[in-house]
Amino acid sequence: MTLNQLTETQAGVIKQINDESLAIQLLAMGFILGEEIKVERIAPLGDPILITSGTNYISIRKSDAQQIEIKL
Amino acid sequence: MSSAAKNIVLIGNPNTGKSTLFNALTGLNQKIGNFPGVTVDKKTGSYTFKNNKVSVVDLPGTYSLNPNSEDERVAKKYLESTTKNDLIVVVADATNLKRNLLLFTQIIDKGKQVILALNMMDLLEKNRQEIDLNKLSKLLNCPIIPINARIEKGVDELKYAIHSFKPKEHSFIDKKYSANVVDETMLRFNKINQIVNECTTKNGENKSYLLTKKIDNIITHKVYGYLTFFALLFFIFQAIFSWASYPMDLIDSGFIFLCDYVNHLLPEGMLNDLIVNGILAGLGGIVIFVPQIAILFAFITILEDTGYMARVSFLMDRILRQFGLNGKSVIPLLSSTACAIPAIMGARTIANYKERLITIMVAPLISCSARIPVYTILIALVVSEDEAYGIFNLQGLLVMGLYLLGFATALLSAWVMKLIIKSKEKSTFTLEMPIYRAPRWKNVGFEIISKVKIFLFDAGKVIIAISIILWVLSSYGPGNSFQEIELKYSVADLNDVSNVEAQSMMAAEKLEASYAGIIGKTIEPAIKPLGFDWKIGISLVTSFAAREVFVGTMATLYSVGDEDNTKSIREKMMAATNRETGEKLYTKATTFSLLLFYVFAMQCMATLAIVYRETNSIKWPIIQVIYMGALAYFSSLLVYTIFS
Repeated sequence: MTLNQLTETQAGVIKQINDESLAIQLLAMGFILGEEIKVERIAPLGDPILITSGTNYISIRKSDAQQIEIKL
Repeated sequence: MSSAAKNIVLIGNPNTGKSTLFNALTGLNQKIGNFPGVTVDKKTGSYTFKNNKVSVVDLPGTYSLNPNSEDERVAKKYLESTTKNDLIVVVADATNLKRNLLLFTQIIDKGKQVILALNMMDLLEKNRQEIDLNKLSKLLNCPIIPINARIEKGVDELKYAIHSFKPKEHSFIDKKYSANVVDETMLRFNKINQIVNECTTKNGENKSYLLTKKIDNIITHKVYGYLTFFALLFFIFQAIFSWASYPMDLIDSGFIFLCDYVNHLLPEGMLNDLIVNGILAGLGGIVIFVPQIAILFAFITILEDTGYMARVSFLMDRILRQFGLNGKSVIPLLSSTACAIPAIMGARTIANYKERLITIMVAPLISCSARIPVYTILIALVVSEDEAYGIFNLQGLLVMGLYLLGFATALLSAWVMKLIIKSKEKSTFTLEMPIYRAPRWKNVGFEIISKVKIFLFDAGKVIIAISIILWVLSSYGPGNSFQEIELKYSVADLNDVSNVEAQSMMAAEKLEASYAGIIGKTIEPAIKPLGFDWKIGISLVTSFAAREVFVGTMATLYSVGDEDNTKSIREKMMAATNRETGEKLYTKATTFSLLLFYVFAMQCMATLAIVYRETNSIKWPIIQVIYMGALAYFSSLLVYTIFS
């Protein structure tokens, strides 16, 4: 399952990030493999989305969210 | 301790208060330059502590040493170029220790000498969390100074720690794992996790974080979110156009006074004319926009500082992406309504090259404040002040229409460029949503000062150069045509013609005979289909210095003695007739055509200079002149043909 399939306020655990440069970027922004990730809000037009992990709080596009594999 | 000067380098994640600390350390002893070869601002400054001068470099915010944008590449490159004489101060957010320590450990493993400055200690307390600083310092093998940069708490302690710093050998992880960046980062995080868990205790919920999410329920709401945004926009526009008018009037009269003073001080002649009509007039044309730029940047800094801008970008990303732009294009596009120059500089935050380029290319289509005087005088020619359409003032509606036209055309052009410009680079919108905080007023002040400085000096240089060239073009003519005119009028003077009138008539005739006049007449055949005559041709040429020069040129052309008397300029323009047909020149067709020309044409040398600097290529400013010129020409042609 990938992150873009979650609905608002749904959470999961980051299993793997398929795109390497995205993985490096997200890790540096505090989105660490094995930790909880949650979709806080989906933008009014369906994209991008706001996600959190711990106190890290960022916005990413759905196409990037599709690269993030999660476990519920 | 040696008395040699020390160099310190500030580095840290974005939104950690790094700039605030930089301001607290250096005060007003700072300047902004450029990192070599790139257009990222390099902030340097200095302070003196115990008779030692310490120089400080503030690097752009970066999450790690694995760069993702121009800013991050610059930070990494600069850090790697530091020597053992440089001391690195890593600024970290104490409330988000884990993530902030990643960069710290990467720097340690580069073999750099490091002090860790833990900022936002006040928030940590508020959120009822504690960090055992002694233990953390021991585990990280590095001096740690707790600070609260906002109220300058801990800054002296930091200066002392820098002063008494003793170099040491240290490393965080083993180098042999660093083949794969993801694995290496995970290795670092595992170790950081252990250390952070050992040193921190949580006694309650993170209140500021929870509050932020509550505010976001409104700010990013599908109805209230956009409502808030448009209400704010409305307020900012009101402020830019109404508040700024008072200081602008002051500056205007100040320059008139100054011109007058210099005019009387210096003996009459070429030098006097150059200084008053060339340099001072050009200078006045720039300085007059400082209030609007200052107000605009005050708002933009406040919106960025509080964390609101990130949310607007979030709301707008989906819409702007359609047009080849990015959520982050919102700020440059809005700034363009004041002036395209700071707007184009503001596009630096867009990581994707294509999106940044498109933002730069279309920003000048959005009506800037220099167009306002032109719109005002032209609209008054076709619509009288008290004409209204229901409750709406017709003049106001027209101005709004011109703004909307500019904005819509910018989006449309962006869309076309998106189809033309090829790029393999991936477009992303990975943006941190900082927690909401009150603006740091000192930062707002610093930001205004630095942006105004860039505007005055970078744009100012070009505008003054162009003003001087234009002055030469309009003050000299070929052969002895000027002397003949002067001779003619000295005879006329004897014939008891009122002196003022004779002088202004002479000025008009001189302008006609000047190189600028010759250029105007040369291009007349090309602009005739748009309904323009050679006089408008001259003002199109002079408008290259800055669009508002149109008004001054009109004043000279129609020999209005007092440049600031727009009413009399208007009257003269209304009375102007076509040389050949003898009919009124400024008909609805000609005026609308001219208005459209000013909406679209790239008549701003300073903007072109900035575009050249930001894109590092002469290609893009040239394309900009051509495409905007073509837009202007053909839309004017269309409108003139329809209305006449």
